[in-house]
Amino acid sequence: MNEATLQKVKERIEALKKLPGMGEKSVSKMLEDSGFTRRDFLKWSAAMAAMLSLPTSFTPLIAEAAEVSDRLPVIWLNMAECTGCSESLIRSDAPTIDNLIFNYINLQYHDTIMAAAGWQAEENLKEGMEKFKGRYILCVEGGIPTNMDGQYLTMGPHAETGLELLTRAANDAAAVISVGTCSSFGGIQAAAPNPTGAKGVYQVINKPVINVPGCPPSAKNIVGTILYVILFGALPAVDNFNRPKFAYGLRIHDLCERRGHFDAGEFVEQFGDAGAENGFCLYKVGCKGPYTFNNCSRERFNQHTSWPVQAGHGCIGCSEPDFWDSMAPYEEPLANKKYDSPLADATADSYGVTILTVAGVAIAAHAALSAIKNPKE
Amino acid sequence: MKINKKIINKIEGEATLKIEGDKKIDFVQIEFWQYHGIEEYLKNKNYMDALVINPRVCGICGHSHLHATVKVIEKVFKAKISKKAQIFREVTSLLEIVENHIKWFYITIYPTQIKDKEYLFKAVKFSSKISKAIAILAGQFPHNSYMVPGGVTCDPTYMEIMRLKDLIKEIKEEYIKEIMDENLTSHDLERFFENLPKDIGKSLNKFLVLGESNIFKSNGDYKNVKEERNKSLSKNALYNNEYYEVGPLARMIINKNKNIKKIYDIYSDSIYTRMCARIYEPLLLLDYIEQKLSEVDLCEPSFLKPNVRNGKAIVAVEAPRGSLIHEISIKNEKIDYYNIVVPTQFNLASSTKENPSPAQAALMNEDIAYVDSVFRCFDICAVCMSH
Repeated sequence: MNEATLQKVKERIEALKKLPGMGEKSVSKMLEDSGFTRRDFLKWSAAMAAMLSLPTSFTPLIAEAAEVSDRLPVIWLNMAECTGCSESLIRSDAPTIDNLIFNYINLQYHDTIMAAAGWQAEENLKEGMEKFKGRYILCVEGGIPTNMDGQYLTMGPHAETGLELLTRAANDAAAVISVGTCSSFGGIQAAAPNPTGAKGVYQVINKPVINVPGCPPSAKNIVGTILYVILFGALPAVDNFNRPKFAYGLRIHDLCERRGHFDAGEFVEQFGDAGAENGFCLYKVGCKGPYTFNNCSRERFNQHTSWPVQAGHGCIGCSEPDFWDSMAPYEEPLANKKYDSPLADATADSYGVTILTVAGVAIAAHAALSAIKNPKE
Repeated sequence: MKINKKIINKIEGEATLKIEGDKKIDFVQIEFWQYHGIEEYLKNKNYMDALVINPRVCGICGHSHLHATVKVIEKVFKAKISKKAQIFREVTSLLEIVENHIKWFYITIYPTQIKDKEYLFKAVKFSSKISKAIAILAGQFPHNSYMVPGGVTCDPTYMEIMRLKDLIKEIKEEYIKEIMDENLTSHDLERFFENLPKDIGKSLNKFLVLGESNIFKSNGDYKNVKEERNKSLSKNALYNNEYYEVGPLARMIINKNKNIKKIYDIYSDSIYTRMCARIYEPLLLLDYIEQKLSEVDLCEPSFLKPNVRNGKAIVAVEAPRGSLIHEISIKNEKIDYYNIVVPTQFNLASSTKENPSPAQAALMNEDIAYVDSVFRCFDICAVCMSH
């Protein structure tokens, strides 16, 4: 990270400072009231800098970015989803500094945790979108149904479809962040046979979208991405599925606590066996860690308490596109995949039909040729 | 007649109420306009996949869906599980109920009367601790898959059980201090009713508990439950062709809880009794969890391999919002048929004026100003409803 980048970020924060803040009190005051010291806050900033793969010299800047975070309003839309991502978000690190910051971020509209309701909420959404046109960060949770013109999901007093609302909101957004696998890649709704025609946000709008997949993604990844946008005024470096590299750069397998057992060839052969008791590698009971890019093994969940692999169940690959179809069955290694998902069947069937048709044509042609040839003999 | 349209959001999705009547509610229709189709994805998938897919019905009570799924598969396989696995499952499922009630109180219903962000933080403080307790056994919350047919995948040490017990004790002490004590005194609940009458929202006064559990008695057979389409994208659930209320109030009344009975005798099944029952329930559950954790024998196996069989089964469990029913048919290791009936389908069915559902009955003849509070006292979950 060179001097020029640092300078650019400083300039950006200065520019943001000039904009009017939305919070009732400053971040430092708010943290103080909630029982956190300045030291706790800086510790959090350092951890956040490390997570965003930034050098430690960025720590004071992260703190500053957090302090101006209320200058950029956030609008959070809920589409076809289960609210699991919001759930993950609201229980971020205890004693929830991430969370305090998130609530301090000027959250103009969030269907589940905002104070307003009914018509008032609709008003807030409308007002937020007009007042902060071109400035707000749009976070989307949930897949977007597209079949029947999106009628599988309608919202609000005017029965607007999810697709219409998203298009409207995305047009004037400074940045669009897909939170969770559903909004990133369609998610469970988009699994075969995809009755509602659900799609990821990037597939239905004409704008760069940053994907923060996971079912649910960890709160750190959500807050980290939003802070990055504030800090740099741009989207972070991403991989080929538009996932921020700071979170999705490595495979689950790379930093897994059971990795040593994989290397030593020590596996759990079935749940509850001696291997399971000894915490061996879960590959043979279906762990998809070797194919999944995410930071769960490093950041864990619920205040760094645990994560599925620690509790003895393999990774299901939830931050990968189409994992509902491509990673199933979830309790068997991908290597023994029998191609028995409905989607695979459909593909196999259509190939089969094509091959048979080609064969049929060939047989008919052969017969015709023979018929022509035969009289000559 | 004038029909008022009201959108109820912040219920993990939204519902549309079509209200007939100007000042007093004459009749109300409840509509949900979302559709997921979870049951469709399950067809032809490996039976184990249901364990990962079903929790995604709902991110709030996904653990109950996991519990129901694993139980229904075990019923088909006639599987046995160890007492240790049984206790762990019970503990994490009940913790989910405790967490749900706290979030419902402070995030869903509280803002209809009191606009103060502090209460949101209070809910978050509790729910973070509770999910941490669940994560010790289950790996993460929401959306884990640590229950498998035959037991659980985790194998905790004494150290982890100690941490868990400690955390539960802390949660319980804080609950008693900050939310409600054993004598049902709750400062926050009284504050909620400062400007709201306690005797509104009386419903059908018919209660149903279907779940098989060690802590709640049931009073019905889930085989008598029938689903029926209504005008929107949701389905109504009826028991013997009648509507019943499910949930914490039903659990308290059917189990003859003395404390709630006292309040019930004064206010009948009003909004106040319903809210009291829901806020009081975590105290009973936390006691039970503490007792169960002291019975854990860590030397028992976590998992006993079941034999895969073909067949059909149906089970009910008690979820945060009431009785949750899962039904499965397995053929050659694949799911042939799956059906889910969620508690919200009982409470928030949309029926006729002559034969109203619990929520409709509670709203009818009430002042239109109270509609938000009364509707939410049933703890609605729109994502479950639109599974």
